[in-house]
Amino acid sequence: MSGTDATVFVVDDDPSIRRSLERLFRAAGHPVQIFGSAHQLLERGDLSKAICVVLDVRMPGPSGLDLQRMLEAGGHDIPVIFITGHADLPMAEQAFRAGAVDLFAKPFDGQALLEAVERVTSARQRRH
Amino acid sequence: MGIRRAEAAPALAVCVGYYVGANLGFILRFPPDTPSVMWPPNAILTATLLVTPPRRWWIYVLAAFPAHLVAELRIDWPPPLVLALFVTNCSEALMAAAFVRRFSDAPARFDTLYRVGVFVVGAVILAPFLSSFLDATAVSMLGGEPYWRVWRVRFFSNVLTELTLVPAIVIIVTAGAGWLLGASLRRRVEAALLTVALLAVGIVIFTSPHFDTIPGVPRSPLAILLPLLLWAAVRFGPGGLSLALLVTVLVAITAVTHGYAPLGELPLRDGIPALQTLFIIVAVPLMGLAALIEERRRAEEALAERLGFEELLSRLSAAFVHLPSHEMDEAFGVWLKRLGEYLRLGRIVLLRLDEDRERLSVSHCWTAPGPGTAPPSAEELVNGRNWRELLREPILVPDSSDTPAVADRGEAAPPARSELVIPLLAGGRVRGGLVFGAVAVGRPPLASVVPRLRLLAEVFAGALGRKETEDALRSSELMKSAILTSLPTGVAVLDRQGRIIAVNQSWTQTREDGSPRDTGVGSNYLDMWRRAASSGDPSAVEALDGIRAVLEGSRSALACDYSSGAPPGDRWFAMVVVPLNRPEGGAVVSHADVTERNRAEAEAQRNRQELAHFTRVSTMGELTASLAHELSQPLSGILTNAQAAQRFLAVASPDLVEVRNILSDIVEDDKRAGEVIQRLRDLLRKSEISRVPLDLNALLRDVVRLLSSDTVIRNVTCTLELHPEPIIVVGDRVQLQQVVLNLLLNAMDAMVECDEASRTSVVRTEKSELNAVHVTVEDAGSGLAKDAERRIFEPFYTTKASGMGMGLSIARSIVLAHNGLIWATNNPQRGATFHLALPLSGDGRV
Repeated sequence: MSGTDATVFVVDDDPSIRRSLERLFRAAGHPVQIFGSAHQLLERGDLSKAICVVLDVRMPGPSGLDLQRMLEAGGHDIPVIFITGHADLPMAEQAFRAGAVDLFAKPFDGQALLEAVERVTSARQRRH
Repeated sequence: MGIRRAEAAPALAVCVGYYVGANLGFILRFPPDTPSVMWPPNAILTATLLVTPPRRWWIYVLAAFPAHLVAELRIDWPPPLVLALFVTNCSEALMAAAFVRRFSDAPARFDTLYRVGVFVVGAVILAPFLSSFLDATAVSMLGGEPYWRVWRVRFFSNVLTELTLVPAIVIIVTAGAGWLLGASLRRRVEAALLTVALLAVGIVIFTSPHFDTIPGVPRSPLAILLPLLLWAAVRFGPGGLSLALLVTVLVAITAVTHGYAPLGELPLRDGIPALQTLFIIVAVPLMGLAALIEERRRAEEALAERLGFEELLSRLSAAFVHLPSHEMDEAFGVWLKRLGEYLRLGRIVLLRLDEDRERLSVSHCWTAPGPGTAPPSAEELVNGRNWRELLREPILVPDSSDTPAVADRGEAAPPARSELVIPLLAGGRVRGGLVFGAVAVGRPPLASVVPRLRLLAEVFAGALGRKETEDALRSSELMKSAILTSLPTGVAVLDRQGRIIAVNQSWTQTREDGSPRDTGVGSNYLDMWRRAASSGDPSAVEALDGIRAVLEGSRSALACDYSSGAPPGDRWFAMVVVPLNRPEGGAVVSHADVTERNRAEAEAQRNRQELAHFTRVSTMGELTASLAHELSQPLSGILTNAQAAQRFLAVASPDLVEVRNILSDIVEDDKRAGEVIQRLRDLLRKSEISRVPLDLNALLRDVVRLLSSDTVIRNVTCTLELHPEPIIVVGDRVQLQQVVLNLLLNAMDAMVECDEASRTSVVRTEKSELNAVHVTVEDAGSGLAKDAERRIFEPFYTTKASGMGMGLSIARSIVLAHNGLIWATNNPQRGATFHLALPLSGDGRV
């Protein structure tokens, strides 16, 4: 399993979804931090601990894609998994071109998300 | 002053009469006495003067003069005596005529006791009495005869002559022709018998020398003649009597002059005066009696004539009083004929004024049978006169060809050919005129019957007035009835009790269509509603109460719709009941079949709702992405939470607090999803319009929340600047939501082309001063094209490639249905603003 500082960051403007993801990752044994918006993450989140960011695409203020660009621009090489209320092809294309590792359309299977996260974490641990 | 042609013949007759009379007098003279037993010339002259006006007397006096000279100069009288005798003769005639003319109301008539009295006093007694003094003077002085003897002989002979001859002459001249023409055969035979009897009896008694020696025979022969004289007086009046007297006197005097002794043993010299006296004494009362009888007979005739006329008048009135106006025209004709014949007129013309009271025309005309009886034209009668001038008052028009009326009493008959125009006035208005014409000679003059004709005209005027009024009323009734008949609406008139007293045609037709109004004239309209009400129809109860209230006057009108027919609700009627404005009360009920109208309205309503639904559904299509997102959020939360719970529960000692929190979140998310679905369902539902008080601010918040996903997706900011207090309007929540949704979607669509930073839409609510709310939806888009501001709310007007152009059109119809207004303006800088004004609810509470 991953180390304690290998934290999953979740950014979603919907509180209920935030809470449910927090529980899911906790139940699966992943440390997790939740944020309501891109700004919250950038202000409060310790990005060095982040092993992976689960990002909602559509959010008030900067969108998930904006945040991904910002993180990249800030030199943070953190894998991004997108979750979205409505997925369409141009958006998916844009996300993967920007380096997203995965994209899930709501409502998604939690097990699949966990597996995606675990794939990312294990890959990062292998790299380290 | 000359002699007219008409006076020459009478003058000649006087001249001849005087001469003949003088010679007759000489025959009846017993020389040496100068005066005769009878002296006709004076009486002839008196009679002539009585029938001529005094200013023409000189003609007849002059006419008598040559006759006098010729007659008397044959006798050996000295010329001065002859001249003096002419003077005395003339003086007697002038005195007699002047007296009678002065005191009598009709000098040439002897048909009343008064007239006979005046005649006896003036002409019979006074004139001979006075003139005999002159005569006696002349004769005694120039002839040397004893004065008083002359006076006595002359006086008695003149009294007798005046008494018997003057009435005879006057009556023959004035009425003789009429009697000869008009008397019946029986009268003629009677007159002949009387004459023969008089002559026979007279000759017998005056010429039989021993007549009075027969035992039992009265000594006076006149007593035997008295029954015959009475016969004459009673049956033939004063005229007949005077003729009978004349015949008797002539017989007696002739007998005496032939040597018979009418009074037995008296010598001639005493016998003649005795005979004269006897005649005078008998004749005067007989004249009075004849006059009395004549007077009485005339009064009776006048009374009978008057009664006859009054009967005619009352029959005329009765004929027209209850006559229906359409039968009057015929009756006018019938009665003109009856009146004309009764009054012995020449013609009667009924003139009528036309409706605009401009022209007179001949309505009816009756003309007496005979030549030249063509009915006159109105122009001929009016003769260029204005009708107002003609019909101002009764006008008597004598025919110009007649002799002018003579002012003096009794000399000349009024013109027989004349015309009387009497205006017909009824109700203070001139309706026409009656023209009475006496065109035939020998008919009674019109002037004598003017008052009667006016009475008759009044009846005609009344009838004419009533006819015109009734005709006008009938034509107005006909017009009203035509209007009522032409109405497609059934109309019935009710009396105070609700009985139907009149219906129009449509009412009957609707009834035949099978509507429940199986009620005709005479039946009670309320009964029908009572039956319907007793069968449990609540609207019938309401209608029944309403009609009763109108009939009782407690309600000014009733208007309601009701359905009837089979199946129920098949046909709809709009009923209006208004009170009848008359003292007896009642009401007017009208029924209009509004089935088609209602169907059309319902159809329109359904179409509108279907279109609205269609628009909502198509709006939903535009919202699909947003709604999918909206639903995916709670569903996602639920799934994730559930899977987390599964994991928590998989361990040996599950953290139940964690699981409880998870379940609580799942419940909330599920509710959230349910709300989204409910909102979706609301929009999709084909709902009927409801009108409830609602808070417009809350409604706007809901819509903006519904669109929140959309705003996120389209990267649009939607700002609410709402009035701090709730804004209550009455309306249909879903429809108003649709309007706002439409405006917001339009605003977002308008900003597609803008750069993302300025994609801002502002929704504001303000309370306006006019008890209304003003909602604005402002966008920062490209604004409206030039004519779009006006046309944007028209159906099928669209600027969008995919638009139907129905959204704003439907929004407008919804707003109008809410008594509101919707319009659009361009903003000063950029974009457009849509405005919505809705009336605020009165109570201001939700």
